[in-house]
Amino acid sequence: MFQYSFMRNALLASLLISILYPSIGMFLVLKRQSMIGDTLSHASFAGVALGVLLGINPILSAFIFTSIAGLLIEGLRVYYKRYAELILVIILTLCVGIAITIISMGKASANVNSFLFGSILTVSDRDLLTILVMNVISITALMLLYNKLIYTTFDEEGARIAGIKVKLVNYIFALIVGATISASIRIMGILVLSSMLIIPVAASLQLGKGFKQTLVFSILFGFIDIIGGLIISYYINSAPGGVIALTSVFVLFIVLLTRRFYLVP
Amino acid sequence: MLEIENLYFSYNRSSTYLLNDINLKVPKGSYVSIVGDNGCGKSTLVKLILGEKKPLKGTIKLYTNRIGYIPQRVEGFNPQFPITVSEMLNVHRKALGMKGLRLNDSILEKVGMKEYKNSLIGNLSGGQLQKVFIARALMGQPELLVLDEPSTAVDVQSQREIYSIIKGLNKDFGVTVISVEHNLNAALLNSTHIFKIENGKGILFSVDEYTAMLQEV
Repeated sequence: MFQYSFMRNALLASLLISILYPSIGMFLVLKRQSMIGDTLSHASFAGVALGVLLGINPILSAFIFTSIAGLLIEGLRVYYKRYAELILVIILTLCVGIAITIISMGKASANVNSFLFGSILTVSDRDLLTILVMNVISITALMLLYNKLIYTTFDEEGARIAGIKVKLVNYIFALIVGATISASIRIMGILVLSSMLIIPVAASLQLGKGFKQTLVFSILFGFIDIIGGLIISYYINSAPGGVIALTSVFVLFIVLLTRRFYLVP
Repeated sequence: MLEIENLYFSYNRSSTYLLNDINLKVPKGSYVSIVGDNGCGKSTLVKLILGEKKPLKGTIKLYTNRIGYIPQRVEGFNPQFPITVSEMLNVHRKALGMKGLRLNDSILEKVGMKEYKNSLIGNLSGGQLQKVFIARALMGQPELLVLDEPSTAVDVQSQREIYSIIKGLNKDFGVTVISVEHNLNAALLNSTHIFKIENGKGILFSVDEYTAMLQEV
C-alpha cells in the first residue's frame, strides 16, 4: 500500500500529527477545554470564508482568524473562570455564524465536507512541509514552555506566586493551538482533528500515571489510532477520517476494559 | 518583614470596605496568626500580601522576595490531575530557576514525605497533600511563609505534624510565618502574635495579651 506516494505522504503527515496533537491535547484536556478542537476548526472554517469574501489568501485568513479566536477564548476566561466549556460555545457560535452567513450569502463557496472530514489522502508535498514546519515550531514552543504550562494548568495561583507570567504563557499556548489547527484543518477535518487532540489523552489518563508518562502514552495511542485508522481505511476502501475517529474510540474502550479487568483490583 | 499601612479593600467598590484601614507590622522571625469570623477578610488579606489582589488604598511593603505560599487548597483542585509529587516539585523548582534533583529528596525528607515522591497527588490524603505543599513552599528557602488555614481538611495526627514542621521552621531557622487560622487553639499554641480582624479593622496582639483578653471575656 505504501508504494503509492499519496499513502506515503498520508503516513508521514499522520506520524507528525500523532506527536503534536496529543501533546497539545494533554494541556487542553487538563484545562477543561476538550471541545476547543471543534471550536477552532470552525474558526478556521470561518477564516477561510472571510478570506474568500475579502479576496485574501484563505490559508492566511484562516490562520489569523483561528489565532484571534484562540486569544479570545483565553481573554474570556476572566469573565467565566469556572465555565471553560461555556467560552468555547460562545466562540463556536460566533464562528459558525460568520461562516454560515458568508456562505449562505453566496459570497464564498466552500466545500463543507472537506472541512468536516478532511482529506489526508490528498496531502501534497507542500502540505507535508506546512505540517512539518508547524510541528517544529509548536513542539519547540511546547518544550520551552513545558514546565510553566504544567504549573499554570495545575495551579494557576501557585504559578503566579512563583513568578510565572501566567497570562503570557496561556496566550502563547492559545496561539500554538490556533496555528496548529488552522494549518492542518483541511487535511485533518474537524472530526479527526478533535479525535486526535482529545481521545488519545482520554485513553492515557485511564492508566493513572504521572504527567510525563501520561503524555508519552497519549502520543503512543495517537500514533496507534491514526496509523491503524489509515491502514484499515485503505483495506475497507473508506475515507480515513471516519475510520481514524472510530479507531481512537475503539482503542479508548480497550484501555477502559483493560483497566477494569486488569489494572484496578 | 512586612508592613501594611492604611490598607482598604472591597470586592465591590460601591459597598462598605471588607478591609477598612488595616495597619500591620510583622517583625522578622515572628509567627502571626490571622484570626476572625468567616468572611471577615482573612484570606483576602493574604491574597493582598501575595500580590494576588490589589488594594484600593494603602501600601504593603514586603522586605523579602523569598516567599513560600501554602494554599488551603489549590483553586479548582483536580484530584485526577496526572502529576506525581516529584513532578510537582520539579515544575516549581524550575519556575524558581533552581537546579538539582536531590533537592526534592532532601525537602521531602524534611516533611516526612520522601517515600511518596512517586505517588500521584490525587492518591494523597489531605494531610499528606498539605505536607507536599509545605515542601514546595520550602524549595525557594523562604524567609516568609504564608499559609491559608493549614489544618483544614486534615486529620488530627497530620495537624500535629504540620504545626510541628512550621513551628520548627519558625523557631530553629527564623522563618517568619503569617498564617490564616480558623483553629484558635492552634493559633494560641504556635504563634507569637495574633492579628484579629473584626468589622474590617485589625488589631495585633501578642499571644499573652490575646490569652489574657480571652480570659477576661
